[in-house]
Amino acid sequence: MIPVMFIITFLVFSLLWAVPGDPVYAYVGIDVVLDEEQLALLREKYNLNEPFLVQYFLWLQNVFQGDLGRSVESGLKVSEELMARAPVTFQLGLFALFFAIIVSVPAGILSAVYRGKAPDHAATFFSIGAVAIPDFWLGIVSILVFSVALGWLPTQGYVDPLEDPIQGLRHLVLPSFALGCTSCALIMRQTRSAMLEVLAQDYIRTARSKGLYELRIIFVHALQNSLLPVVTILGLQAGRIFASAIVVETLFGLPGMGTFVVDGVLGRDFQVVQGSVLLMAFMVLFCNLVTDILYAWLDPRIKYEG
Amino acid sequence: MKTIKSLIKIAVKPTTIVFTVVSLLGAPVFSACKYGGHLKVAIPGHFTSMDPHLGRSGWDAYLWRQFTDHLVDADRSLNPRPISSLAEKWEVSSNPDALTLTLRKGIEFHDGTPFNAEAVKANIERILDPANSATPRSSLAIIQSVDVLSENKVRLNLSGPWGAGLSQLADRGGAMNSPTAISKLGEDYGAKAVGTGPFVIKEAVQGSHVHFVRNENYWGKDKDGNRLPYLDEVTIRQVKKSSVRTAALRSGEIDLAYASLGDIEAFEADAKFNTSRMEAGKINLMLMFNTKMLDDPNLRNAITHAIDPAFINKAIYFGQNTVADSGMWLPGAWAHDPSVPRPSYNPAKAKDFLKKAGKPDGFEFTMVTFGARKPESEVMQAQLAQVGIKMNIEVMSGKAAGAAFFKEGKFAMYATSFSRYPEPDWAGSNVYKSSGYYNAANLPNPELDALIEKGAALSDIDERKKIYRKVDEIVLGQSIVVPMVYQTFVTVASKKVGNINTVSMHDGKMNFREVCMTE
Repeated sequence: MIPVMFIITFLVFSLLWAVPGDPVYAYVGIDVVLDEEQLALLREKYNLNEPFLVQYFLWLQNVFQGDLGRSVESGLKVSEELMARAPVTFQLGLFALFFAIIVSVPAGILSAVYRGKAPDHAATFFSIGAVAIPDFWLGIVSILVFSVALGWLPTQGYVDPLEDPIQGLRHLVLPSFALGCTSCALIMRQTRSAMLEVLAQDYIRTARSKGLYELRIIFVHALQNSLLPVVTILGLQAGRIFASAIVVETLFGLPGMGTFVVDGVLGRDFQVVQGSVLLMAFMVLFCNLVTDILYAWLDPRIKYEG
Repeated sequence: MKTIKSLIKIAVKPTTIVFTVVSLLGAPVFSACKYGGHLKVAIPGHFTSMDPHLGRSGWDAYLWRQFTDHLVDADRSLNPRPISSLAEKWEVSSNPDALTLTLRKGIEFHDGTPFNAEAVKANIERILDPANSATPRSSLAIIQSVDVLSENKVRLNLSGPWGAGLSQLADRGGAMNSPTAISKLGEDYGAKAVGTGPFVIKEAVQGSHVHFVRNENYWGKDKDGNRLPYLDEVTIRQVKKSSVRTAALRSGEIDLAYASLGDIEAFEADAKFNTSRMEAGKINLMLMFNTKMLDDPNLRNAITHAIDPAFINKAIYFGQNTVADSGMWLPGAWAHDPSVPRPSYNPAKAKDFLKKAGKPDGFEFTMVTFGARKPESEVMQAQLAQVGIKMNIEVMSGKAAGAAFFKEGKFAMYATSFSRYPEPDWAGSNVYKSSGYYNAANLPNPELDALIEKGAALSDIDERKKIYRKVDEIVLGQSIVVPMVYQTFVTVASKKVGNINTVSMHDGKMNFREVCMTE
């Protein structure tokens, strides 16, 4: 994990500096002006006159001390901004995954158990639909239906669920739905195929011949063994959720890491982009680590050599 | 009985009858303002900082205008507005040149720091110090030093006459911040800025919203002597998608926003909303040329005469904007002069200019723009092809496009938008002058430079008008910078919001100082 993190830091730093042009112009916004004297002082202040590797190691040195620099645009500490925004993206991701799991796992099981029948066709139809519909479109349509037409849920914004649980949840419903739908489809398809494979195993036939209840066979004997590939998909979804959060957070006005990165990229705010990508990479790697640990828990045959 | 009689008398007055009939017919009725209420506003832009001096985005003004006051405020035509200015008097003197400001007494910043001559000195010196990277520095560069004459009198010592001075103080450079808060918060000041304005920042979440509450000690009054502000609270949300802003307005989550162009007609026809128009709130489409790369004015004129802005307005802006009738000084500003000849759509003339340039069969060049101006650029590409000009389009992010065009000299033309700057010296010094930041070629142009310097120095508006007319004649006549379409700003608010005609300021940015709730 640590070597991967180093490679990521180097890649992120290299890619941003590969962008043509003098990075100091990132400090000049739209409709604002800085003169040459001010620009020269900024180059000096942020070590922009130093060679690439010197700049990289200076940045890395600060990162190890927990200092991700200050945003080029706002002048605020990137680390503090990320600390404030990460929980929003984390909550959104968690709710989206929760929504995806509670819908897709039962749908996948149903689809596998009733293979070739009406429930299977219905689940397949909806899963293909969910993959095909872009999350921003789904977001806009859900706003029009649930906020404008029905008036049930807010159109945008964020309320901390720890401060006001009801309002917090109300604000997370639509973004989580929009974000979770695509994952929902993938998890459902994976659950279905894994369940079909397990349900064809000899031990399931033995269980049935012993007269066990079908529900017990499915939920106790088949489900745990079919969860392994589902967990793999869940781990992979962490990365996808960070990517899609960029669109969903912008649409619903959530002050998370997605909007932070988008604003950073559009504003050439290299300090923000570097800090955010670093944290996101760390979180994705962390999710992969959790996935590996879950493997061992779900399947006692899997052992990691220490 | 006397009361009943007087009521009947009022009721049968012609104006009352007209008002009643109009009310019954459903025309907008503006009820009296009430104190209190929470106004929720949505803006599409990305704000960077609440520090008026160090912020990097024009959208920041939507925030700092709520909690700061200006040394000299201005109305939409950019005439000084003493009623909302921190300076109650100003005096221009020469030999040596200076601007002396007499400040209002008894005003405090939100943190209790007194607003006085020392505070003005600290603010101006902060801007002028190059180490602070303050963006209004170029606008105030003429100030050599600041002298505190007394508790409420301050003198700005100038390196020359400064006719543009009062207008420049109505922009970022004149917004006053608490010196105590600046020194206490250092680089974090942008998140917790402190001014003297009608509202105090309660909570600011970067990239999301800012929540303001009433400044209970605010000094300002409206023209009728009513204490300001009316509102208890204002929340400004950043909502980038126009469809979401519209949905939020319709669902009642947001009380006020600028309507997106595609929704203007529907909102104006909807009895649930009040609307207020500001023509030419900004320049929506403007062509800026690198005169080093495209050095023949005939070639530039061929381009500007081959483009039909009326078609672009109809096809892309739902016909809601207005075709530019002059240069960068927009309708409503005193320098606006539509009688100056400017390029207009005329393909035959465009072909004549190509012949004059010795390229009757056309030529090829590459322009740059950002995502939002791509559709317009494609329309222009097709229109230019009609006269034989091949235009290649490069699309970048706003900042990258700006740097590539203005600083790296990579493109011959830039299709962009520009904020409304009613003070002509802002565009004069920063865009037209050979040393200007937004002059891509930075080629010497002694005639234009001399005019701009003269225009900034003169105090008499009529004299300045004559100078800026000459500037426009050169800039538009040689197609150096040519606005194509001005953008209409339409404030949409629910019926319970009053005084919405005071929302848009001289630069098109929003201000809620006099906005109120009527229910």
